[in-house]
Amino acid sequence: MTKPQTLLSALACALLGYAASVAAAEPYREYVWDATSNPPGVEGDKGHTDTYQYWKDRSKLPAMNGADEWKLNWKFRDRPGNDQLHGGDLAQERGEELYKKLNAGNAFAACMGAPDGNLKGLRLKYPRYDEDMKKVVGMEARIEYCAGKLGSKLVNGSYDNSAVSIYIATFSNGMPMAIDVSQGPLKDSFERGRKVFNLKAGRMNLACASCHVQMVGKNLRGQTPTTHYGDLTHWPTWRGKDELQSLHVRFTECDKNSGVQPLQIGSQSYTDIEVYLSALSNGYPMQAPSMRD
Amino acid sequence: MNRVLIGSAAALILQACATQSEPPRAEAPKPAATTTAAAEPKPWPAGLPADALYDPNAKNGTIFYVPTTDTATLKQADHPRDLSRWLTRSHLDTRGVPPPVKKTLDGPLNGNPEEGKKIAMNTGAGNCWACHALPGDAQPGNQGPSLIDFAKRGMSDEEVYQTIYDRRSVNPMTAMPPFGALGTLSDQQVRDIAAFLQSLK
Repeated sequence: MTKPQTLLSALACALLGYAASVAAAEPYREYVWDATSNPPGVEGDKGHTDTYQYWKDRSKLPAMNGADEWKLNWKFRDRPGNDQLHGGDLAQERGEELYKKLNAGNAFAACMGAPDGNLKGLRLKYPRYDEDMKKVVGMEARIEYCAGKLGSKLVNGSYDNSAVSIYIATFSNGMPMAIDVSQGPLKDSFERGRKVFNLKAGRMNLACASCHVQMVGKNLRGQTPTTHYGDLTHWPTWRGKDELQSLHVRFTECDKNSGVQPLQIGSQSYTDIEVYLSALSNGYPMQAPSMRD
Repeated sequence: MNRVLIGSAAALILQACATQSEPPRAEAPKPAATTTAAAEPKPWPAGLPADALYDPNAKNGTIFYVPTTDTATLKQADHPRDLSRWLTRSHLDTRGVPPPVKKTLDGPLNGNPEEGKKIAMNTGAGNCWACHALPGDAQPGNQGPSLIDFAKRGMSDEEVYQTIYDRRSVNPMTAMPPFGALGTLSDQQVRDIAAFLQSLK
């Protein structure tokens, strides 16, 4: 662009700037219409894929394979159906070691929200509004924060951070997810998360909901997207490609595979999607450690 | 609808203006150090939100992190493509997407079916086969209609071109990416795919 043209367009921009800011508070964007995801709680899948009936009880999964396997929502990878030793078990051991080292004097447990050192049910307190960090955070973000306060570095999304997360989650096994998104900062986060879940973005103009609402149950070559209900009770998880993934690390992979520029682990958008999906798991029991393909 | 169109036009102008002036850089994160010696540090892309996983001096800009067993840090890896020009899911992103457009076919189709096949049946390029069945694919997608004998539909070259360029112009609820309107594929690549589909009898 030559100089006079630059000047001219700069002037045009300045003149149009006011009109544009009045006319368009929001740029043009598209959302997948997703009325089914309104009610928080795992029962909401009844009006969505109606597969909840099959995976409701992990100990009583019906026999399904081939084209129907997706209806089990991968719960056959969980216990008791899958009793093989996997990388998640090794991560749990590592997590216990790290936790005990960090928790000398109970300072780490207290920071995480268990002042008496009893970890039972602690996982269910996340995600939550964090008074210290002044924002809604997931448990892995708080682990990084508390470790940091005690002089240790456990980067959110790293293997060791996820290992500690898994160890803490094991104390809540079998207890149902129950986060309250009916009021306050968590409600705001839930609403933001729902909006981002349905926002079409990236090189392919795809929302999370494009695959998990619009195309759910269809074949995308060798893959079949499953319901987004009841999925947040087994993270972090050991992936078949030999990687321990926190939920946010998984989000970067989702973005990567759908042609969307990934975001920082612990970013507010990812946390809000975490809150949204957590609420859609309300009522479904925790399972740690876990593995997925 | 009118309001949407006006809004979109204004957004486009705003975007054009944003790319022209220097973006606010105060909140942009410092790019992580790379092992290759970069001659000159590259700037943070205009419009890209500060919480994007991006390193202007990395191979393709867009990066992701890999957890490594028994470590408390993350390893940086290169994404195969620079994705910074498209809308992200960040709350800090102020950009939009191009509104639906019904593109007229300029001149004859002039597409190369062989090239079109390479783009359509490549996960990293057009990735048409993710959703559509195409001849010779052992794992056909079934989200969209089968394209196995597409030419039998007798659609005009322009209709096929328009559909690939921006399906939203026909069906606003479509999940199909607007390959032309978003700049996902070049105009010639859209023509090549159209020619490939018109050759499937």
